Amino acid sequence: MRHPGRWVAAAIVVLLSAALIASIATNPRFEWSIVGDYFFSTRVLDGLVITLELTVVSMAIGIALGIVLAVMRLSPNPLVSVASWVYVWFFRATPVLVQILFWSNISALYPRLSLGIPFGPQLTDFSANDVITPFAAGVLALGLNEAAYMAEIVRAGILSVEEGQVEAAQSLGMTRLQTMRRIVLPQAMRVIIPPTGNETISMLKTTSLVSVIAVTELLYSVQLIYAVNFQTIPLLIVASIWYLIFTTVLSIGQYYVERRFSHRGSRDLPETPFQRIRRNLFSFRHATVEPSGGSGGSG
Amino acid sequence: MHRSKLRLLGGLALALGIGLVGAGCGSSSTSTGSTAAAGTATKDEAVAAEVPAAIASKGTLTVAADASYPPNEFIGSDGTTVEGMDADLAQAIAAVLGLKAKVVNASFDGIIPGLAAGKYDLGMSSFTDNKEREKVVDFVTYYSAGTSFYVKAKGGPTINGLADLCGLTVVVERGTTQADDAKAQSTTCKNAGKKGVTVLVFPDQSGANLALSSDRGEVGMADSPVAADIVKKSNGKFALVGQPYGTAPYGIAIPKGNGMSTPVLDAVKTLMANGVYDSIMAKWGLEKGAIDNPQINGAVS
Repeated sequence: MRHPGRWVAAAIVVLLSAALIASIATNPRFEWSIVGDYFFSTRVLDGLVITLELTVVSMAIGIALGIVLAVMRLSPNPLVSVASWVYVWFFRATPVLVQILFWSNISALYPRLSLGIPFGPQLTDFSANDVITPFAAGVLALGLNEAAYMAEIVRAGILSVEEGQVEAAQSLGMTRLQTMRRIVLPQAMRVIIPPTGNETISMLKTTSLVSVIAVTELLYSVQLIYAVNFQTIPLLIVASIWYLIFTTVLSIGQYYVERRFSHRGSRDLPETPFQRIRRNLFSFRHATVEPSGGSGGSG
Repeated sequence: MHRSKLRLLGGLALALGIGLVGAGCGSSSTSTGSTAAAGTATKDEAVAAEVPAAIASKGTLTVAADASYPPNEFIGSDGTTVEGMDADLAQAIAAVLGLKAKVVNASFDGIIPGLAAGKYDLGMSSFTDNKEREKVVDFVTYYSAGTSFYVKAKGGPTINGLADLCGLTVVVERGTTQADDAKAQSTTCKNAGKKGVTVLVFPDQSGANLALSSDRGEVGMADSPVAADIVKKSNGKFALVGQPYGTAPYGIAIPKGNGMSTPVLDAVKTLMANGVYDSIMAKWGLEKGAIDNPQINGAVS
């Protein structure tokens, strides 16, 4: 037997994992039957939909605005650069919770919002509470806050592209915008994607803060249920499992997005886990494949 | 002058002597409640004997409360002590049982799991005793809370009862009977062909009050003592409207099977008989909801 140590270690890991899983599955205090009752209940699923909507829209705003802010920051125009710095400074400095409460209760400070020229005539005005619903307030707060953090991530990615690339683009006569769009940003993506995946997965849970403005996303829905029936632990497990499922989906998505932006041509890409499983399961003739992946690609 | 001084000294000595003897009598544990000053409870041997040995040997009763709910439980001005009606009653109950009470601040969500895990002995956090909750813990009822409405003083709607809520936005705290009542009223309104009630449920009472002050909500509903306290502290921004309605019992939450239900029930009965309960209610202005028949698991719905 080659590598006997590996087999022993593997056996120990399997044994410990099995013991842990068995303990969790058979411990009656987890009340798995109640977890099953509530897992697909309407209130939980409604909350889940709101969490997903909040995550998608907030990250969309955050990424789009973040890219704009990062490019602004690197602009030679001092006003533009300072404006971007002030935005990032302010929105990173104040707690997200405060921002959420501010946007939802903006009517306490500005009961009516109006469009017009500053210190000049007003074109139209409307009630703040009508325009900014609780859901909109949540999206605004989370999106604008996320933009400040994304701005720094994108800026890091842009800085990671070596100056030689920009010089070469300029010597070819490309404008700054063309250089940014076609040379710098595509190469910056490799550095930008892992932290962005991080931020998205984190946002999935940060959306739970909107409970303070009475928006019933997943975690708050679960809290409202157990506030009445006192089954706290099983219901928190319900919420946690849903978060686990969607974090897994997002992680797999991140893996494929990273593959797309990696530097190699598609012929040289290493196998995905699915491809490796398929190869090992369905090609019995090549059963004794070297464990370390060589330079050969998928079969 | 000499004689008057002597008389003064003699009088003082006599008073001191009587005081010492009196204190000696008072420290006997079988003193009846009528000699105890209002607000201070003393140990009752018969009731204290009912406390299970495991808890009696500890000497301290750990009581959990979510101190964000004045005047029932809140953090005092020193920033750490839990004060309020529930805290005072907890101290009095512990005294009757011959124990000391340690009232700890815990988040509302964590109190029931904490009781089940043995972290706390009792939970006193304005819990409403209802049948669903009685499946998880036992309750000893000790107060009856009605619901009051409060609105913005300037420009708020006129509310005389639940029926006036149709078409309005109500702000409530989660886990309260008011949250359930408002949602039920919405169904009633819709069945009568009127607009439903929009209910905004907040994690804590201050979120609800903030929404009311920014006109996100039009009416607030809370337990009568809590609503009265909010209005009092709002410096004229809010006002109570209409009449309080409905009653639900507050219960002391006791983990099932730890043997404290009967001792706590008897302690509460003792406090009601000797006037300490009434003095605590009077201290916090809560006489309206005082009861005289505490029960174990006395939920009505």
